[in-house]
This record gives sequence, C-alpha cells and structure tokens, in this order.
Amino acid sequence: MTQARIRQAWAIARVELRRAFFSRRGLWVYLLALLPCVMFLGHGIEIRIREKHWMQNGLTPAQVVDSMAQGETVDAVLRRAPNPVNDRNWQERREDPDDRQDKDRDKDKGKDKTPAPKPDEMRALTYFDGHRIAYLHFTNGVLDRKHVNLSRNLEDDRRAFAGIFQVFYLRLAIFFGCLGIFMNLFRGEMLDKTLHFWFLAPVRREVLLAGKYLAGIVAAAVIFGGGALLAYGAMLWPHSGVDAQMFLQTAGWSHAFWYTTAAVLGCLGYGSVFLAAGLLLRNPIIPAAVILVWESINGFLPAVLQQMSVLYYLQSLCPETAPIDENSALARLLFAPAASASKGLAILGLLAVTALVLWAASRAVRRIEINYGAE
Amino acid sequence: MSTNEIIFEDVSKFYGEVLGVNKVTLHIPPGITSLVGPNGSGKTTLMNLMTGLILPDRGSISVLGLSPRDPEHLMRITGYATQFDSAPRWATGLEFVSTGLTLYGYSAAEVRERAWRALELVGLTDAADRKVAAYSKGMRQRARLAQAIAHDPQVLVLDEPLNGLDPLVRADTIALFRHYAAQGRHVLLSSHVLQEVDLISDQVILIANGMIVAEGEIRDVRDEISDRPSQFILRCRDASRIASLLFNEDHVTEIRMNDDHLGLLVMTRNREEFSRALTRIAVAGYVIDGVIPADENVDALYEYLIGGGRA
Repeated sequence: MTQARIRQAWAIARVELRRAFFSRRGLWVYLLALLPCVMFLGHGIEIRIREKHWMQNGLTPAQVVDSMAQGETVDAVLRRAPNPVNDRNWQERREDPDDRQDKDRDKDKGKDKTPAPKPDEMRALTYFDGHRIAYLHFTNGVLDRKHVNLSRNLEDDRRAFAGIFQVFYLRLAIFFGCLGIFMNLFRGEMLDKTLHFWFLAPVRREVLLAGKYLAGIVAAAVIFGGGALLAYGAMLWPHSGVDAQMFLQTAGWSHAFWYTTAAVLGCLGYGSVFLAAGLLLRNPIIPAAVILVWESINGFLPAVLQQMSVLYYLQSLCPETAPIDENSALARLLFAPAASASKGLAILGLLAVTALVLWAASRAVRRIEINYGAE
Repeated sequence: MSTNEIIFEDVSKFYGEVLGVNKVTLHIPPGITSLVGPNGSGKTTLMNLMTGLILPDRGSISVLGLSPRDPEHLMRITGYATQFDSAPRWATGLEFVSTGLTLYGYSAAEVRERAWRALELVGLTDAADRKVAAYSKGMRQRARLAQAIAHDPQVLVLDEPLNGLDPLVRADTIALFRHYAAQGRHVLLSSHVLQEVDLISDQVILIANGMIVAEGEIRDVRDEISDRPSQFILRCRDASRIASLLFNEDHVTEIRMNDDHLGLLVMTRNREEFSRALTRIAVAGYVIDGVIPADENVDALYEYLIGGGRA
C-alpha cells in the first residue's frame, strides 16, 4: 500500500513538474532566481571592459606605482609614469572660515571689499599596473592623496555575494519565488478550475499534497539552487585563475555547497509554508506580508520564537556573514541576523519546522472543498 | 448499510448562508437515475457531495458502502464527469485520459489500452493525439466522459453529459449509459433535456430549492401526484361516441377531442377505473386503436411538482 502511494505521489509530481516549471503565472520566478547571476555577470563584464580600456592606455610597472609618494609634484610623477589611464583637471574654490566671517561682516556694512580667493588647481591621475589601480590626487600640483586598490578584489566580491545572497536571495527572491511556485500548486488549480481532476482520482489527499510538494521542491530547488550556483560562478568568473583556484581549494567549494544548500533548504521551508498558506487562504498577499514581517523581525525576537522562522536556520547555514551598515537603524532592523545555530542543528531545525507545517497542511487539505464559484 | 445503493441520510449542505441541499434522504438503486431540477436547485451539489468534492455539513453519504471522505477507495469504483474542463493545456486527449489512469496503479501498457478503449467508446480516437484545448465543446464533453469511464467504474456520475453533443453522438452516448445500467451499475446524471431524461431514465429524482420533491420510477412518482388528474390519449374511430360514454364515468374530469375526430385527450382521477371503463367500451364493440399516457413523463412531473421555468 505504501509503495503504491509513493508511486502515486511520484506520478502526481511528474505531472505537476510541468506546471511548476512552466506556469505562465510563474515566469517571473526565473527573473528573481537569475538576478544575482546577472548582477555578478554585469559586474564581471564591466571589470573586463574597464581593464581592457586601461590596458590600451598602457600599463605602469608596479614598482613605479608603489614609488609614488605624497608631496611629489605632478611633473615628477608624470616623468616616471607618463601614461596614466585617466587624467582629469578641475578647479576648486575653497574658503577659509575666517575669510567667510570677514566677508559676512563686510556684507552687513554694505561693502564687499574682500577679494575672492584664488581657486585651487586640482588634478587626478589614475594608473593601472595590470592588477591594481592607483588613484593619485594632486592639489596645486602636489600629490596629497593616494589610493591603491585591486582591480578585481575577490574579498570584496565574496562580501558582496554574502550580502546579496542573504539580503536579497534568501529574504526576497526565494521567499517570493516559493510564494509563486507553491501557492500556485493548489490555489492556481482552483483559479483554473482544474483541481477536481486530482480530487476525483483514487488518491488520498495527503498523497496529493506530497506529490504536489515534491514537484514544487524539485522545481524550486533547480531554479533557486541552480540560480545560487550560477551567481556564485558569475562572482568568481572575472577573477584570475590562480585567485579563483586558491579560493576554491581552501573554502570556495565549501561555500558553494552551503550557499546552494541554504537555497534548497530555503525552498523546502518557505515551500511548505506557502503550500499550507495556499490551502488555508485565498489571497496570497496577506500571508506573504505576514510571513515577510515575521521573518524580517526575526533577529529581534526571543530565542524560542526565532526558531519558528525559516530565516533563522538559513542564516546559520550561510558560510559568510552579510555586511550590514551598522549606522543604519533600518538596515539593522531588517537584516540583522538571528542568533546562529550550528549547521547540523539548523538543518534539523528547518526540517522539523517544515515537517510541522506540512503536517498542518495535510490536515487542511482533507477539508478542502471544490467551490470554484467562490474563487 | 447497503453495499449496492447510493445512500444520502439527512444530508444538508450550506455555502455560507446559501442553501445547497437540505435534509436530503435518498436511496438510489442501480440503473440510470436522472437528477432533474431548475438551475441552482442542488443537482451538482448532490453529485459533488457523493464524490467528496464537497463535504456535508450534516448527515452521511455512502456510495456502495464507501464514504466520500475516502477517495482512495471510492474513486476506484466511481467516475465523475463534471461540467468543468480539467485537462491541462498541454494534454492531448490520450494523455488526458492516461494521466488519470496512471494513478490507479495500472501498468503503462494497460493505461494505454484502457485510455484508448475509453476514447473508442466515446468516438474520440481520431482526435486522440490532438490537444484537448483545441477540442470543440462536444469533444471536450466526450473527453471528460472518456476519463470518467476509463477505469470501468461501478458508479458513473455525469453532470449534464449530453450538453453540446450532436444527435448521432448523443444517441451513442445514451446507448453507452444503457449498456452500463444493464450491467447492474449506477448511472447518475443530471440533464436539462427532459425528453431525453424521460427516454433513458429508470428513475428520476426531482429537486427544487435544495430539497427532494420526488424520487422513484417515473410512473410511481406520477401515481403519487393525486391532485392532478392523469392524462391519456386515445386513438379511436368513433371518438364522439366514446367521449360521450366516458363522460358518464365519475372519475373522468375532462375530455378534449382531436381536430381529426380520431382521438381524445381524457383526464381521469382514477387510472384503474379508467382502465376498466375502456375495457367495457371495447367489449361493447367500439374500436380503440391505442391508449398512451400523456403525462407519465419527466416533463409533466416537472411541470406538476416544480412548475415555472424549466431546468
């Protein structure tokens, strides 16, 4: 009997996969899943175009870039490094606070005899040594500031990835993607007036729920797990083979695994929540708003309540902490991570929350009635 | 509880504050049973209740001893062709019927064989590989019927099954229902076409405002309507003389003569007395070519019991 039910669930899942992957209502889910990949690809392409442009202007040896020091004149710098990739001049009028007070006093007396100060001659030179980009800032011909950055900074990109993954991908893309996929499994069929097809099959409602959930999970895991991996690949793509290889051999593969796992488990958790919501409520906006708020304020909830959130477990699985602007109260409110659990505990906790929600959904699906007129 | 009947015991169903059906008690034996009633009277509600698509607020339902809350077993013996299309956009006729069959645990070969046989029975094999979405209304109706009969159910529930069918297919479909009923199965259908219901039904259930107005074989139901005289059409050669003889009978309330003077419409309060009177007239030497009951049909029952607009 159990084997027969498993076969039924799989048969349902096979049919539903088509709906889950290719539903016209759900095509926007692909946009959400691929957006980080597109962002990192765009970033990589921009870096490559910029470097190509810099190289056309000529490379400056690294020793020369390192030798440039504050206090040097612009002529001295240009003598040693005559091929900046960018050269910009402008004037800047800076006022002394004392001069300003004198000027205001003169204005009050009806006379303005303080002459305008002479503007400073500003110049910015940019040099590229093949790996690093140096920004030199001159005031009246003297080097007063120097910034040297790697043109491709894997550390920065990893932090950016961690931020995008946790703030956008987990909280928004997977959240709303699962809303689109899983709410559609029952509610979509109600709207299409086709749900009775399944209810008239010799299948327990719980088996139907399992089959539909399985289809949703496979679709969401492929779309969002794949999206996470693609974005990760796109993040690594512009970096030199040596940097990327070194990172992959140390922590890179592990990070890729945990990001993908977090994405798939996110689909598992949010999927169960939205599947249940689709059975209980007609309007997806209400549960989406409530769950979004619940997940957003998760970091401020007591420990017991934090554990009733999908995000609590997902954040614990992420290998890097998302960079959050500590000065922004809103950012702290919305994106502050919950107290982290160990990875094993996080997976078990998430599976437990999912099982609990699915159990509630299996109770709800038994009471569902076909009443298309009310939709 | 009988395992050969569909039983409703004091079943009520409300949609919020709107009445679906109220205190329905029915025992439906095998054969073709027609549900007749105006729009919104509760016909589809009854069908949905017995197939578990909706659940009763009160009372219990049993289909050959099985509960509608147990679709795993109930739907193995029940096929339901609803009014709504349920075929996915991508499905061809064959895929649509096959998809449902895969859930019955048949082998792939058996699924294909059964699906093909069902399509054959409804005359859709030529269009089996075309998408259901591109079917005409009548073809979609037949596809739904094929899906309902593909697993060879004991109970066939059909919501307006003759809608949209052309006359030839309609006749074939009615023959199919008769074939099912002849095998001792249940065929429960609703129809707006009362003449057809009349032709094919073994019993009728008249429903109005969510309540059962009458149920049973058409003649039995007619007999129970005592406040309306029974109507008979007599074909005879000496219509004027026979009419005068019948007027002497107390139970005859009205007689109308045909324009051709070869027929009478007689209304009587007592069918048996009327039968005896006709025997006496015939024995007296008057030729009576035929006697046809004029109101032993669903149309008349509908008019008497429900009245107003037709279903």
